[in-house]
Amino acid sequence: MAAYIIRRLLLFVPMALGIVTVTFGLLLLIPGDPAAVLLGQEATPEGIASLRRALGLDDPWYLRLGGYIANLLQGDMGRSIFQNAPVSEIILGRLGATVELAVVALLMSVALGVFLGVVAAIRQGGVIDAAAMLFAQLGISMPVYWLALLLMLAFAVQLGWLPAIGRGEPLVEAFGLALIGNPAPLWESLTHIALPALSLALNSAAVISRLVRTSMLEVLNEDFIRTARAKGIRSRAVVWKHGLRNALLPVLSVIGLRFGALLGGAILTETIFAWPGLGQLTISAISQRDLPLIQGIVLTFAMIYALITLTVDLLYAAVDPRIRLK
Amino acid sequence: MTRKDLFASVAAAALTLFATNTALAQEALVIGTDVDAGTLDPRLARDTTAYRTINLIYAGLVHLTPTLEAVPDLAESWESPDPKTVVFKLREGLVFSDGSPLTAEDVVYTFTTITDPDFNAPQRALYTPIESVEAVDDLTVRFNLSTPYAPLLSYLDMGIVPSDYAEAGGDLALEPVGAGPMVLESWKRGSEIVLKASDSYWAGAPSTKAVDIRIVGDNSARAQAFEAGDLDVIQAPLSPNDIKRLAEDERFGAAIMAGLGVTYLNFNTADPMLNDPAMRQAFAMLVDQETIVNDIYQGVDEVANSVILPSSWAYDPDIKQPTFDLNGAVAKFNELGWSDSDGDGFLDKDGQTLAITLSTHSEDPNRVQSVEFLQAMMQQAGVDASVKISDWPSFSTGYVQQGQHQIALLGWLNIVDPDRMTYAQFTTGGSLNWGGYSNPEVDALLEAARTSLDQGERADAYQKAAAIIAEELPYYVISYQGYQMFFDKDKLGEIEANPRGTFRGLIGMPSAE
Repeated sequence: MAAYIIRRLLLFVPMALGIVTVTFGLLLLIPGDPAAVLLGQEATPEGIASLRRALGLDDPWYLRLGGYIANLLQGDMGRSIFQNAPVSEIILGRLGATVELAVVALLMSVALGVFLGVVAAIRQGGVIDAAAMLFAQLGISMPVYWLALLLMLAFAVQLGWLPAIGRGEPLVEAFGLALIGNPAPLWESLTHIALPALSLALNSAAVISRLVRTSMLEVLNEDFIRTARAKGIRSRAVVWKHGLRNALLPVLSVIGLRFGALLGGAILTETIFAWPGLGQLTISAISQRDLPLIQGIVLTFAMIYALITLTVDLLYAAVDPRIRLK
Repeated sequence: MTRKDLFASVAAAALTLFATNTALAQEALVIGTDVDAGTLDPRLARDTTAYRTINLIYAGLVHLTPTLEAVPDLAESWESPDPKTVVFKLREGLVFSDGSPLTAEDVVYTFTTITDPDFNAPQRALYTPIESVEAVDDLTVRFNLSTPYAPLLSYLDMGIVPSDYAEAGGDLALEPVGAGPMVLESWKRGSEIVLKASDSYWAGAPSTKAVDIRIVGDNSARAQAFEAGDLDVIQAPLSPNDIKRLAEDERFGAAIMAGLGVTYLNFNTADPMLNDPAMRQAFAMLVDQETIVNDIYQGVDEVANSVILPSSWAYDPDIKQPTFDLNGAVAKFNELGWSDSDGDGFLDKDGQTLAITLSTHSEDPNRVQSVEFLQAMMQQAGVDASVKISDWPSFSTGYVQQGQHQIALLGWLNIVDPDRMTYAQFTTGGSLNWGGYSNPEVDALLEAARTSLDQGERADAYQKAAAIIAEELPYYVISYQGYQMFFDKDKLGEIEANPRGTFRGLIGMPSAE
């Protein structure tokens, strides 16, 4: 097991190099000059040329790529052209917010998705099944952007129950404060994360609920379920303990993939709710052609994604003892 | 008006500068904005949030009023012994927020660095006529110009930076030190900038204790956050739908006025299809300004008639660009030899179809819609028009600025002096003349308008140049952009909005005595 994990972690290195090279190539191909963007519309051609020299943008591509990789291997992700600060610092300052949002959204979508999927499966063909699947259809087809504005309009503007934008204290810290008797920041954080997390979660919840339903229906027709029922085990235990555990296996890998989708969806959600995470940063970095920052963000997202895939593979073994990792 | 009169009127205006500022005192004012500041070093600022935040943290020699008049700020007075020299007298006892004195040396340092090509200041071009700046004594600064330069005062609201702090390695971009009415308290990149009142400003502290500038990138989300009460003030850019709704809402105060920007079509006069002014005129007759301004932009902008803003002293309503006339345009194309000889619905000449590419950037849905509407009009007239939409960097730096476009829709902002939207844009070989326009007469007029110090003479030259441009059409100006600000009426009371979107009119600036 330990050897397996180490081997998987070592694979990250060539993967990272590949990602860096591909991103770099794409950025070379798309038009738009960071020096010209930095200086704005009123820049003179001489001004742009001078800044390009200062930023080292005139060096041949292999020198720039080589230099970047050499620095990266020493743990240096370079400096952002626009924010004039180390990329690693900028990303670290925002990573927490995005991970928090994605994790909360993932928990919400799993809870909601599994619940709806199971209920729909045991009531197959009934009203509840139809309602749950209608919800799933809506959740899958509604664009995150539109849903987010709609939720904001309803809960922040019309009802005034929740704040429209921003973030409270980080959840973990707020939770710590609540434990020592100061629950106000926790409440503040929860009200702030509710809308962005919900609008991010609904789409994934819908996908998960459909999958759980299909998977459950299959499992509930298996012989061992009939055996369990015949032994007189209570129906609830049959469904949740024997059924769900086996139905969850294919769902698990999808949940892992959904986390990737959540990180992607966060780009839009964060921009709308002014959530200070990586998503917002991604949009501005791309629209400014801030090459080192884009590289850093893509690399970070890729690493998170690789870690998630690894975690899912490990969870597989935990859920299904028949799977051995070598 | 002679130069002396001009300065006399400036001094008179100075007396009324702060008297109009009656915004209610606030503990904290929350202002929503669309982008984060890139830097808080005034010399390197390039985005609106940076300009507006810097305008609170720093002070310049002059301050620009909402009507764009330059009135004394750090400078007490100024005079011009000859057309190529301006001498500024600083107020006594000026200090930066770190307590160090502000002297003539700091002014020299600020402008010497801006004009240094290696410093890469985005707005360096505006200051290039400055040959040198020297400190006569602690309170006197002399600007030596290479040529008389009338727009100079409009650009001298540039924040003065502390030379000692900067030279000792102080990072003005992240830890700004200025002599303005507020100081930086904290800055969460991409999220919020918090300022608090400074007691080092020469006229005293503003009545608002703190300003919290929140970045909400999405225009509709920003409007909703304002309606939900999370923000006290929002301003352009806003979606036309939101502007309409907010303006009708009793709870909010609104300042809706002419802005300092234009939306225009940039004709590439170097393109074979467009190098004949008559062709550009025919294309211009296919631009239905009324529909674009009133339907797509829902009336928040104003139909334009020339390259001079209506709020400018140089404006002349009698200068006219071609107006929408579909049949007239077709007739004009026919006159120029274009007709549909092969019956495919498109005009052609010598076997070549009349094809044109319209372009703009994807970030602004109204611009995209305008371009698509133009395409439809052109197709009706028998022009095989196609549309090219890409994101801002690809469109601006990779396409229009390389002169690769045919007809591009884009805009100019911050036109505080007519010079700023004409000189570099229309003079032969000008640094912003992406369409390669050249007319010796326009060159001479714009040069004269920039170097004359008599406002009447300047206005006359701009009007003559604008008339030629309205006929030869290197630009077709579609609309004068409006500026909108909405605020919480109960909380702020009376405010003084500035079409540049600056915040000094919101924070209860101290009175000048």
